[in-house]
Amino acid sequence: MNDPVHNPIELGAADETLRLIAHLPPPQGLEDRVHVALLSRPRRARILSWPSAPRLESNWMRSAAAAAIVFVVAGGGWGIYSRVQQPQAKVIVMPMHVATQGGFSSAGAMRTPNTLNGPVLAHPVLGPAKPARPVVRFPKPATLKPNRPVPSSAPGNAAAQTAK
Amino acid sequence: MSTSQAVFAGWMEIPENALTDEARTRADEETLAALVSQYSGTLYRVAFSVLRNPSDAEDAVQEAFLRVLRHRDTLHEVRDQRVWLIRIVWNIVLDRKRRSKTRPETDDVAELARVLPSDGLTAEQIASAAQHHAHVLACIEQLPSKERQVLMLSAFEELSSVEIAAVLGITESSVRSRLFRARNLVAGLLNHTRS
Repeated sequence: MNDPVHNPIELGAADETLRLIAHLPPPQGLEDRVHVALLSRPRRARILSWPSAPRLESNWMRSAAAAAIVFVVAGGGWGIYSRVQQPQAKVIVMPMHVATQGGFSSAGAMRTPNTLNGPVLAHPVLGPAKPARPVVRFPKPATLKPNRPVPSSAPGNAAAQTAK
Repeated sequence: MSTSQAVFAGWMEIPENALTDEARTRADEETLAALVSQYSGTLYRVAFSVLRNPSDAEDAVQEAFLRVLRHRDTLHEVRDQRVWLIRIVWNIVLDRKRRSKTRPETDDVAELARVLPSDGLTAEQIASAAQHHAHVLACIEQLPSKERQVLMLSAFEELSSVEIAAVLGITESSVRSRLFRARNLVAGLLNHTRS
């Protein structure tokens, strides 16, 4: 039976190779290079971080800073609110909604009721129709005789002489 | 002393806690330096066994210690620092190997001929030994990843089966069963290629 478990030659070769690699000496100066790499690492950015670690003694500073931030934000908000006027409410007249039976809009079309049929002209109209003038009827004046002068005692002449 | 001078003196005064933080940082750096001196060689060998390239293995070691530096606040919580470091570098090298292409056997032959000990050997013997080891490594590469990882870590005599289990995050019985399977598979592959 050729069972690989009982074949020590192959197993020995594999173990020997792996053990040989596992025992290879590290290159010289490895520690120094790792030390240099650790020393030349990028430092933490401290621009945005708190200058010192949070401690119990500095709680009052944190409270003061928080209060200052709240004050500045609230003051700024109030300043903007007081300067900027609120726009007047604009009244928009909406067209009357015409209910449609279907689901489509009427596109602004207005319903016109049917009118009665007018008189039919026998002859076509030749010119533009003039607007009808209102007929004013005055009472007929009394018939005057042509060779007879107007009497001076007429009320119209008297008024004219008074004005002179 | 006026009031303003007293206030400014209070602001300018260096608090005791700052000194404590600085001392703690210095202590962490000293601990890290000690870890580098003690375990960089072990980590390099672990990394080289997977990557089989000296510069890549050294980069992996540096990256591992940079990760340690990033989590130095939790350094005192680590129970076994050696296993913890090996686990870090193991994850790094597996990740790197996953991203890199498969190495051809010729590269392994050349690299092994360069790094293998050559005391009392002729150039022909060194080349032959390198070829043999590269062939064995190529057979090991054909194993399933779980079995291969256990087999490679078992070659490090300083790692017990319990520690290998801790590195891989599995149980000790799983280590034993996987090692058994791995050895069978490797023997079968070598026997097949030889015949």
